[in-house]
Amino acid sequence: MSKFIKAAVASSVLAASVMGANAAHAATASADARANILEQVTVTNTSDLDFATIVTGATAGNVVVDSAGTVTCAAALVCSGTTTAAGFTVAGTTGQTVDIDADASVTLTNAGGNAMVATLTESVTTLSISGVAATDVFSVGGSLAVGANQADGAYLGNFDVTVNYQ
Amino acid sequence: MKTNGLRRLNTLYAGFAIMGSALFLSSAPAQAAGDLLVAPTRIVLDGQRGTEVILNNIGSETATYRISLELRRMTAEGKLQDVSPEEANSFEKAAKGMIRYAPRRVTLPPNQPQAIRLGVRPPKDLADGEYRAHLLFRAIPKARSVTEQASTSGGFTIALTPIYGVTIPVIIRQGNLQATAGIANARVETSDNGQAFAFDLSRTGDRSTYGEIRVLKQGESEPILVARGIAIYPEVPSRKVTLPVPAEIAAKLTGPISVEYYEPDNAGGGLITKSQMVLR
Repeated sequence: MSKFIKAAVASSVLAASVMGANAAHAATASADARANILEQVTVTNTSDLDFATIVTGATAGNVVVDSAGTVTCAAALVCSGTTTAAGFTVAGTTGQTVDIDADASVTLTNAGGNAMVATLTESVTTLSISGVAATDVFSVGGSLAVGANQADGAYLGNFDVTVNYQ
Repeated sequence: MKTNGLRRLNTLYAGFAIMGSALFLSSAPAQAAGDLLVAPTRIVLDGQRGTEVILNNIGSETATYRISLELRRMTAEGKLQDVSPEEANSFEKAAKGMIRYAPRRVTLPPNQPQAIRLGVRPPKDLADGEYRAHLLFRAIPKARSVTEQASTSGGFTIALTPIYGVTIPVIIRQGNLQATAGIANARVETSDNGQAFAFDLSRTGDRSTYGEIRVLKQGESEPILVARGIAIYPEVPSRKVTLPVPAEIAAKLTGPISVEYYEPDNAGGGLITKSQMVLR
């Protein structure tokens, strides 16, 4: 019996010492702690779709930036500078499957009303979130159709990219 | 004894401190304006009349976000295709008509969360069924500055701005709805993007099914492939499920396997269907 009490006291001392500062709270009445844990998704944009600098010529041609960011330039054109594909990182619950959807094409216009069309391609259409940021990525590349003697100017365009949850 | 305990506490705290700093570092990459966090990623209102969704600006600059209700239809390939308001059928129109949400436009400084309230007001004579719309969250891009646009001298410059966001389904169930699902025709496919495990998921009944796919190899207790968040919606009787897999997992996908479809844990985690098959 006394052995049992000693053991009990010893263990309670141990518990108290391990708990340290928290021991003071032991005397307070119980209170509910509530937290609603929600599954989340984050989408971050890591790079823009950049065709870099293009010098036009007398013949029409395409400038293709693939989803890895590598440029292929039509013979009629001169491409210079560093190109990038639009890059995105998705984070969420590990194992979650999401759909990636980008506009099929985008029309770029300059202040003078001249236009160019770029067709867009996403690197993946289904992404399974692995929990590793380096692999939970997708990119959007494009093929820009540059006309013969395409008018100068700053061409602007917006395109939609959505991460769809089923 | 006491000092021993304290020392142990100290090492514990040191451990937490290291963990904390590692987490902090990993969560602070360079981020563009418009980056966003949305939680939860799926809403099912089965009798409840409302809920809320958290939107957080995880970018490094103040951003304005627009929240809108969109219609999407599932295709046989399992993709969610945009449906314009003119193409909407009566179920889709009813879904859009009974979902209220606010605010619809919000400007948030970095790391400022905002709750988007969502309510459902079904009409009195609402027919039994599953009604669905998709809530789209995305940042409105900032207008490019004039100096940036005027920086060209001969030749041309191109500025392509992605408007990126997230859609989550909002599902309203009216009445006592049932559904069953089936799995067939599992195979490994090879495409330009690498290898993928694919199968056909079929459904009967008047509601969608949603859950987790587990692929088990005969004689192994741990699944070799787990995919969460797989749905089949009432508009399709069957869809293809394509799950991209790395080469080392694709190599294991041979011989007899079991493909199992479970409800998510928060819906009971029950088995929806399973199918044994042999992969060539």
